[in-house]
Amino acid sequence: MEMIKVKDLHKNYGAKQVLKGIEFQAKEGEIIGIIGRNGVGKSTFLEILMLLKKYKDGDVQLFGKDIQNLSITDEKVMKKKISAVLQPTQFYKKLRVKELLELFAKYYQCSENVAEVIENFELEEQLKTFFDNLSGGWKQRVSLAIAFLSRPKLVILDEPTTGLDPHMKEVLWDNIRGYSERYQTTVILSTHSMEEVELYCDKVMLIEDGQSVFFDTPQNILATGYENMNQFYLQNTKKGGK
Amino acid sequence: MLMTQLKMDLKMFFRETFYIISIIIPPVSYLLMGQMYGDLTYAGGLSYAQLYTPTFIILISFVTILFSFGFDQVSNRSNGTEKRIQLSPVSSSLLLVSGILKATIITGLGFVFITTLGVFVYDLQVTPVQMFLSFLGLILLDAVMLLLSSAIYSIFKSEKSALGMSIVLFQVVLLTGGFTIPLAVAPKVLQVIGHVNPMNYVNQFYTHIWNGTLAFSGEQLNGWIYLAVLSVLAYAFIIFQGKRKK
Ligand SMILES: Nc1ncnc2c1ncn2[C@@H]1O[C@H](COP(=O)(O)OP(=O)(O)O)[C@@H](O)[C@H]1O
Ligand SMILES: [Mg+2]
Repeated sequence: MEMIKVKDLHKNYGAKQVLKGIEFQAKEGEIIGIIGRNGVGKSTFLEILMLLKKYKDGDVQLFGKDIQNLSITDEKVMKKKISAVLQPTQFYKKLRVKELLELFAKYYQCSENVAEVIENFELEEQLKTFFDNLSGGWKQRVSLAIAFLSRPKLVILDEPTTGLDPHMKEVLWDNIRGYSERYQTTVILSTHSMEEVELYCDKVMLIEDGQSVFFDTPQNILATGYENMNQFYLQNTKKGGK
Repeated sequence: MLMTQLKMDLKMFFRETFYIISIIIPPVSYLLMGQMYGDLTYAGGLSYAQLYTPTFIILISFVTILFSFGFDQVSNRSNGTEKRIQLSPVSSSLLLVSGILKATIITGLGFVFITTLGVFVYDLQVTPVQMFLSFLGLILLDAVMLLLSSAIYSIFKSEKSALGMSIVLFQVVLLTGGFTIPLAVAPKVLQVIGHVNPMNYVNQFYTHIWNGTLAFSGEQLNGWIYLAVLSVLAYAFIIFQGKRKK
């Protein structure tokens, strides 16, 4: 089933054109990576899908519904099915991990899932720590746990593994893949790690100059003669980001 | 859901050492100033306790609201927490109601605490009816302060500039709102600023409510109109700022 359908999406900030024609689709259970230089519009695209940002032209459908001009009730229903990790990841500083889980479980009305998430993400040792006092990797881990807490149909992750040590990355990826398989969750994430794209993503979209210039499986891309995804990336993006 | 939100909101407030210190300072000043000026009689024949009990209750409320409907908002906006909350299916009105309840509870505690001090230290005479009316009045003036604070802080994007603003506001309000020296004996500049400082009127009105001298005529009426107009403007500005985003 098509979860997301994006056609010819345009977005500008004032006079600045950021997205100039994005074409994108995602099916149930797919893990899709979004790549491109810093400042190319990855976060902008993801935040449009999170219903945080408005856009001017184009067509964006989530779960078969146009997201432009949703009614308040429709928006609330949709927000319940979507979850996300933002960049940078932040929550109330002075709440403990356990309290954040409880609070967000209330927001998404899924208090019965808290114990499961604590176990899967192995959060036990930090439950009493204030969010503010967690290390960067742990913040990311807690954010991801909160994102999967409601067993959403769609999870959007903005650079979830940037700056993390390899062990932490592994914990996060095990969970992303585990949840995606178990609940047929669609996962869309931006990343600068071509290794992750190759290892874990079903599909990858490359944004260059505001357009989705490639959208395919890593296997198909590699079959056209690239040694690895890193080579593909370097040959298809201009030098020097912003 | 509201109870959980309120519980968390209160926890967060009482976990900020800086906030705690700021709401302890007014009662301490109330006692210290009383040591020095406790025997004087003030304009209108008011005793120290009659004049400064309501004043210090307003001061606690001002500080509380400045933090929870000002600084906290900017802090959550600048670090991304606000965005994370926005994308979850919780309604903004629920968050607002919880914030208002939080402010009411904390200012209510300030009210009880300072009044109790007044009764035991300065032989303040209070009646239940007067207490009830004063508490209602406090809630009304809380609402005014809340609107003004939200409007002012909706402009700020960074925590640093919001902190600067808080320090300036705090100084101005302390000096020209009748919280330290009575405005009548203050230097001319302060009197002029005090004349447009809404906190000066909030403070005056609360003293009137507290002492049963409230009137909707003459100078008092002008002050009420001034506060009402400012509140409406602040409300309109908040709505406008909310629409402008994205
Ligand atoms: N709120 C905003 N207002 C104005 N410009 C913005 C805003 N958010 C992002 N931009 C600009 O849009 C471009 C794309 O940003 P972003 O989507 O964050 O890129 P990426 O996530 O790929 O690094 C950048 O040039 C950035 O400066
Ligand atoms: Mg980004």
